[in-house]
Amino acid sequence: MRIATAKETYAADEALFDTAVQRVWFAILLAALALFPFLADQYWLFLAGLAAINVISVTGLNILTGYTGLVSLGQAAFMGVGAYTVAVMEARLGTPVLLNLLGGGLVAAGVGMVFGLPSLRVKGLYLAIATIAASFILHFVFANWTSVTRGVSGINVPPAAFFGMALDTPFKLYWLIMPITVLLLLGAANLFRTRVGRAFIAVRDRDISAEVLGIPLLRTKLTSFALASFYAGVAGGLWAYFFRVVTPESFPLLLSIFLLAAIIVGGMGTILGGILGAVFMTLVPEFLKLLVGFVTPVWPDAAVHLSPVRTVVFGAMIVGFLIFEPQGLAEMWRRTRRFFHLWPFKT
Amino acid sequence: MLTMTRRGFGGLALGAGAAAALPFGGGAWAQGADIVLGGSIPMTGVFAFAGIGIHAGISDYVKIVNDAGGIKGRKLRFAFEDTAYKVDASVAVFNKLVAQEKPTLYYGDSTGFSKTINPELERNGGMIMAGASFASELNDPKKFPLQFMAGPDYTEMVGILLRYIAKEKPGAKVAFVHSDTEFGRDPIATSEKKAVEQGLKVVEKIVTPPGSVDISTEVLKLRRAAPDFTIFHGYVMAPIPEFIAQAKQMGMTSRFMGTFWSMDNSMVQKMGDLADGFMGVMPYRYYYDTEGNAPMLAKIRQMRPEYQSTAYMQGFLTAMLMTEAVKRTLESGQDLNGKTLKASLNSIKDFDTGGIIGVPISIPGNSIPVGRIYRADVQKKLMVPASDWIKLEA
Repeated sequence: MRIATAKETYAADEALFDTAVQRVWFAILLAALALFPFLADQYWLFLAGLAAINVISVTGLNILTGYTGLVSLGQAAFMGVGAYTVAVMEARLGTPVLLNLLGGGLVAAGVGMVFGLPSLRVKGLYLAIATIAASFILHFVFANWTSVTRGVSGINVPPAAFFGMALDTPFKLYWLIMPITVLLLLGAANLFRTRVGRAFIAVRDRDISAEVLGIPLLRTKLTSFALASFYAGVAGGLWAYFFRVVTPESFPLLLSIFLLAAIIVGGMGTILGGILGAVFMTLVPEFLKLLVGFVTPVWPDAAVHLSPVRTVVFGAMIVGFLIFEPQGLAEMWRRTRRFFHLWPFKT
Repeated sequence: MLTMTRRGFGGLALGAGAAAALPFGGGAWAQGADIVLGGSIPMTGVFAFAGIGIHAGISDYVKIVNDAGGIKGRKLRFAFEDTAYKVDASVAVFNKLVAQEKPTLYYGDSTGFSKTINPELERNGGMIMAGASFASELNDPKKFPLQFMAGPDYTEMVGILLRYIAKEKPGAKVAFVHSDTEFGRDPIATSEKKAVEQGLKVVEKIVTPPGSVDISTEVLKLRRAAPDFTIFHGYVMAPIPEFIAQAKQMGMTSRFMGTFWSMDNSMVQKMGDLADGFMGVMPYRYYYDTEGNAPMLAKIRQMRPEYQSTAYMQGFLTAMLMTEAVKRTLESGQDLNGKTLKASLNSIKDFDTGGIIGVPISIPGNSIPVGRIYRADVQKKLMVPASDWIKLEA
């Protein structure tokens, strides 16, 4: 049971980790993340990298949709902007990897702000449709601005280099991707302890009231778009280093829907929800494949017959979560924590 | 009565996840001297129609090899997983199979995957790869030294069509209709030049979204250009039937042609009467083809009495060529790695595929620039030969 957690100051009340136990668990998590590459094989390292990239992009979308209430279906296109920026900077300019990722994030933020302009006039589904325009327009730019993007054949990205070492394996890339993911997550979590983050929440809950309270709507909404796109841009940049080829077909509209589904499954408006949603959406299809693998020794054709079933099961799991846990995986996690906080008393 | 609470559902989901995570760091490891053919195969998703055929083709050839005692006494094993035709899933499967099965041969499912995995393939150095892609970009042994394709690349496919057209009707007017995708745009720019070299006139180029059905304005453009031959590329089916239907309604006399992925007999016959006269390039014989000496086709028909798609033939031939490369490498006493396997593959000269391809083939580079023109016969409901085998200069 959790006891002796009374707060004496506002700072203590606002702290990200408000008990020693939480800090210890966070330290254990960081240690586990640091040990992971030495225990896992190439496959699991690849999945960890992919999940981390998705976590960054989903967190960005969560800032925009979960916290600010602006539904966007342009997140994948903004990832594309980041990926192309990094690809061009790396392949043509040869600039350092961290500068490239920052450049990818900033260019995506700028583009995101432009496509965020309609958010002052429209919201909800209307805004979602407006942001789909980002997907179509940017896809057209990626495919036809051949002098920069090399058209439909795309850009081959040299491996990221860090102090002369080529980051060309999932093991090496893990050390680039995971620290950036942790930093961006801490940044996002801290954002909502600031005036800017709280303004996002105020706009989401009631934009007219927020304006009456003195929150400039246009600036706040555009800031949210810029931040979400920055996260998407960095995620896209890491994606470019991860897959080493960027083409116009790398960031389809379907990816935006995947990212939106991740925040809904994980839990909108919580950082933890974004993480859990992205990890769930990335890893569950792989876990289902493993289950099919268990059957293979007794049923050699299992993969042939169960592959379509696996897709249906994944879809059914998403529907199941939406019905049984509409507040997402984050709420399940909170309930589990609450159980231990109150144990041995009934929750 | 069984009821499920929210907590119960969560527990079940977490339990399933934990159970699924059990093989972490384990899994099925390569057994002794087995030679593993790994595969990122699209058993679901938009390319499943091909993936299922490819899987069957590879599996059957692997069975034939093993029933005959394996390759120099070593068993050939096909280890694959579904990718749903997504590049990230394909790369995940590749990483998994490389970590757990140590393949020396690999089948990839798309151009995107082939390009994405190429640096890792070279870094690994332990295998050769082929796949479902016939992208012209991959037909470059310098940039893709460990890859090959079991047929002509897309530019070569169109080249074979142009060669046929130039012979049938010198100076003919040609139009290209292609999808606005990497796949669709692939051969167009080069083929325009090749058409001019063959003395043909390219009178129109039309770009459409893939699968588009509203093509009425494009058909009007095509009608104004009045081509003798219209070549479709970058589609599997739609919007080819719509184009043909509207063009015929407008009284156009153009002959319509396709490339490999729009040439499967069962797909073409789905067009019904519209398919009559539809032509295209095919690197392999069709399942039902009994012409000439084709023991492998007879064997396939014996193993599978029902029609097998052109994707099946592609998977079957890919496995055959990979097996031949392994056999030649082992016979020369060399280790099995990407370099030796590719060198062995490139040593294949005037090779008899058992009738899968109607002429002996050589693989001096990354492709097999051979094909034949087939025409849809609606009465027979079959694609029938319209030309002899056409070999392009490598």
